[in-house]
Amino acid sequence: MLIVAFAATVLGVLFLLAVLADWVSPYDPLQQDLMSALQWPSSAHWLGTDDLGRDVLSRLIYGCRIAVIATAEATAIALVIGVPIGLFIGYRGGWWDWIVMRVVEALVSIPGIMVAIVIIAILGPGLHRAMIALGILFSTSFLRLTRGVVLAEREEVYVRSARVVGASETRILLRHIFPNIAPPLIVQTTLTVGAVLLAEAGLSFIGLGIQPPQASWGTMLNTAAAFMDLNWFLAIPPGVAIILTVLSVNLLGDVLRDSIGRGIAAAAPPPASAPRVAPLLARAPSDSPQSSRSDEMLRIEALDIVIAMPGATEIPVITDVSLAIAKGETLGLVGESGSGKTLTGLAILGLLGPVLRMTHGSIRLNGRAIHDLDQKALEAVRGSEVAMVFQDPTTSLNPAFTVGSQIAEVLRIKNGLSAEDARRRTVQLIDRVGIPRAAERAQAYPHELSGGMAQRIAIARALSCNPSLLIADEPTTALDVTVQQEILDLFRDLQDEFGMAMMFVTHDLAVAADVCNRIAVMYAGEVVETAEVDALFADPRHPYTRGLLSALPQGSSRNPPLPIIPGSVPRPGTWPTGCRFQNRCDRRVEACEARIPLVGAERMVRCVHYQNARLKAVLS
Amino acid sequence: MLRLVAQRVLALVPLLLIVSVLTFSFTSLLPSDPVDLILGESGTQEQHDMLRKRMGLDQPVQVRYAAWLGKAVRGDLGTSFFSSVSVTDAVLQRLPVTLSLTAFSALIAIVVGVAAGVAAALKPQSLADRLATLGATFGQAVPNFWFGLILVAIFAVGLRWFPATGFVRFSESPSDWLRSVTLPSIALGLSASAAIARQVRSAMVGVLQQDYIRAARAQGLSRSRVILRHALTNAMVPVVAVLSFQITVLLGGALVVEQVFSINGLGTLAIGAVRQQDIPMLQGLVLVMVALVVAVQLITDIIYGLLNPKARPS
Ligand code: SF4
Repeated sequence: MLIVAFAATVLGVLFLLAVLADWVSPYDPLQQDLMSALQWPSSAHWLGTDDLGRDVLSRLIYGCRIAVIATAEATAIALVIGVPIGLFIGYRGGWWDWIVMRVVEALVSIPGIMVAIVIIAILGPGLHRAMIALGILFSTSFLRLTRGVVLAEREEVYVRSARVVGASETRILLRHIFPNIAPPLIVQTTLTVGAVLLAEAGLSFIGLGIQPPQASWGTMLNTAAAFMDLNWFLAIPPGVAIILTVLSVNLLGDVLRDSIGRGIAAAAPPPASAPRVAPLLARAPSDSPQSSRSDEMLRIEALDIVIAMPGATEIPVITDVSLAIAKGETLGLVGESGSGKTLTGLAILGLLGPVLRMTHGSIRLNGRAIHDLDQKALEAVRGSEVAMVFQDPTTSLNPAFTVGSQIAEVLRIKNGLSAEDARRRTVQLIDRVGIPRAAERAQAYPHELSGGMAQRIAIARALSCNPSLLIADEPTTALDVTVQQEILDLFRDLQDEFGMAMMFVTHDLAVAADVCNRIAVMYAGEVVETAEVDALFADPRHPYTRGLLSALPQGSSRNPPLPIIPGSVPRPGTWPTGCRFQNRCDRRVEACEARIPLVGAERMVRCVHYQNARLKAVLS
Repeated sequence: MLRLVAQRVLALVPLLLIVSVLTFSFTSLLPSDPVDLILGESGTQEQHDMLRKRMGLDQPVQVRYAAWLGKAVRGDLGTSFFSSVSVTDAVLQRLPVTLSLTAFSALIAIVVGVAAGVAAALKPQSLADRLATLGATFGQAVPNFWFGLILVAIFAVGLRWFPATGFVRFSESPSDWLRSVTLPSIALGLSASAAIARQVRSAMVGVLQQDYIRAARAQGLSRSRVILRHALTNAMVPVVAVLSFQITVLLGGALVVEQVFSINGLGTLAIGAVRQQDIPMLQGLVLVMVALVVAVQLITDIIYGLLNPKARPS
């Protein structure tokens, strides 16, 4: 808003000065006084005098008039030439379109100022002729814009339907196409005004635009250039005038473009304002007991993550998550989207990004705390000790490099392999993940591979440094159903071979059942149930787990689950106090409104109906 | 890659042809009769007719075009109406001047623009971002020749670090060449660097949110490596796509900025040719400039193909 006010003020003053120049300028801009030439600013001449003793302020004010006339003229000419021709060729198409567009292409491949120079050579110099030259020059952008809009609109159904009704071609053009052209045309006009101002000043500066003694900012700068060593101040007033004007026009153009862009985007729902934070209840550290195991690879203890926006209250997204994965074990992290599974994975890698912050808890890998490592140490851990495979292989591989080079890069940087060794090892890895003709495929770019193929490459890259933990984030969700099973089999094979721990993030219990030993069900930023796969399927305890299970289609477990549980995961900040599942739970009781701990040993559940053992212990 | 080059070169032939037709027919529209210009009022009717015949002006326009084009492809752009020097010689003599100015300013614009754009994109809404955005908005509003004047006032007249005027050829003295092109190139490159900075910023902000950036970080590659190699390579794709346009603008700007520094390049030649209505000179200038632009387009197309595998013909 401040910007708009500034720009509007500058342009308003410019217009006023242009209109009132005869009254407000202190001197006649052409009146010479050689006795007082090249004076510095004084009370008599606020901005000094030029080489002929003319008052700079007065010339500057008359320059406003020239600037307004010049830009209006050139922009109007550009519109009058560009828009109708664009309309015409866009609508007619065919040869007309082809010829005009080739001419336009030729014109824009010549530097603009040279086009203007040639046209001025034909017409001769002077204000109006130079503006005709600029008008012709800038008409190409209007022409292309208009043609583009017409081509797009021409295909629209309503144009065709209007033709069926029998409307004349002109009427179709004007009635249907013009409203759609107006917004981009307005933006283009502001852009053109700024460009015309600069071009006019440039032409006048080299003596091919406005001719002396007429006062324009460009000619004033031409004078200033000749006397730079005697009075450099001469260059300041016209320069500042040009900059302020162009800046204001450009700023207005930016604002217009943005607001027109927003007008289009307004159809999408506005982002919800940050909701109130549900107060977190103080909890005992022993809230989620986890039995410690000797062959543990990963241990996450009481992890809390919040959204920390500057100037806003912190919103928790992960609370009190504790997990452990043993060597050679696969833990499934299961839940609908929005439950915080992926975040948990990213937290292990220390890749939460600028907005998310870990506020509590610890993450230990091979017994070593990695959550408070500095950037360098963390980079050493990533790839070498933990690696991650992402959901969409077509976006998780860099489109600019061959897939082989992306694996080789990791091998060279992380493992210090020579280029030759890295290349050889890359081919081995690609071969290992089941891609035929590995050496040849290493030369392929990601877009040349199918989704399944690309995911194998991503897996090969993740395994390149023999990590002790592999995080797989919905690695089959983006793939064709037919290749999903192959990728899952590959994961199982690789784990047998490499013996690493694996964290398998998925929304699909059936997929988890296929590859995992144990499953942790997550809901709204916390773990609600963990159990061995068989136990979980045989006897799901948490109502949410039951809901997920009953959503699985019987028989064919490969299809996406049916949305049996009504509603969706509440957004962070809108979590109910107490059990976060209570809004969707069919077994809800009053006690659910209190904070529920995760209890149990071999299997753990976070639900009032399974608190008995602990409650009894507390009560007795 | 060879195929891409061949494809592009072939596509440029019709463009050059159309430009030559355009320039020829436009310059034929010049109001004055070259014979009158050369002989002035003085010559007799016979002298006029003779000269007209010798210049081929009695032929129909398409014949003249064919003759001109025939010579042009062999590198002969005709003879100036005034100085009777060969247009090719005159243009070739000034070409290195304008070319080195354009190339050096392009280099400055790319380096400054990319650095500012990346710095701004790394921390959106930060102080660096705001400063870069503000600078870019300002930079696009400053006329290059005015900026040149100010640079002269400060660094040439005031501090005497650089010469205020003139141009030294690289072949004569590389260090003096550098001193003579520095100020003009900075003046010329300012608005282009502002435009490039804006493009790099918006492209980079988009790329940094891509999965493959997070994946590269997850693989343990360092932040600087991921930004400079993985992100920048992709962010440069849309920037390079419009780079030839920026360089075309620079070439045009050089014509004006040359005047600030009294550099005797194509700009001075063009302005003189307009004043004297020197048709062959104007035709030659336009054609040479288009050839330059086309060469730049070819180079940026190749770089584009290198950066963006999807753009390569398979
Ligand atoms: S605690 Fe209550 S609301 Fe929550 S899952 Fe159990 S029964 Fe349902």
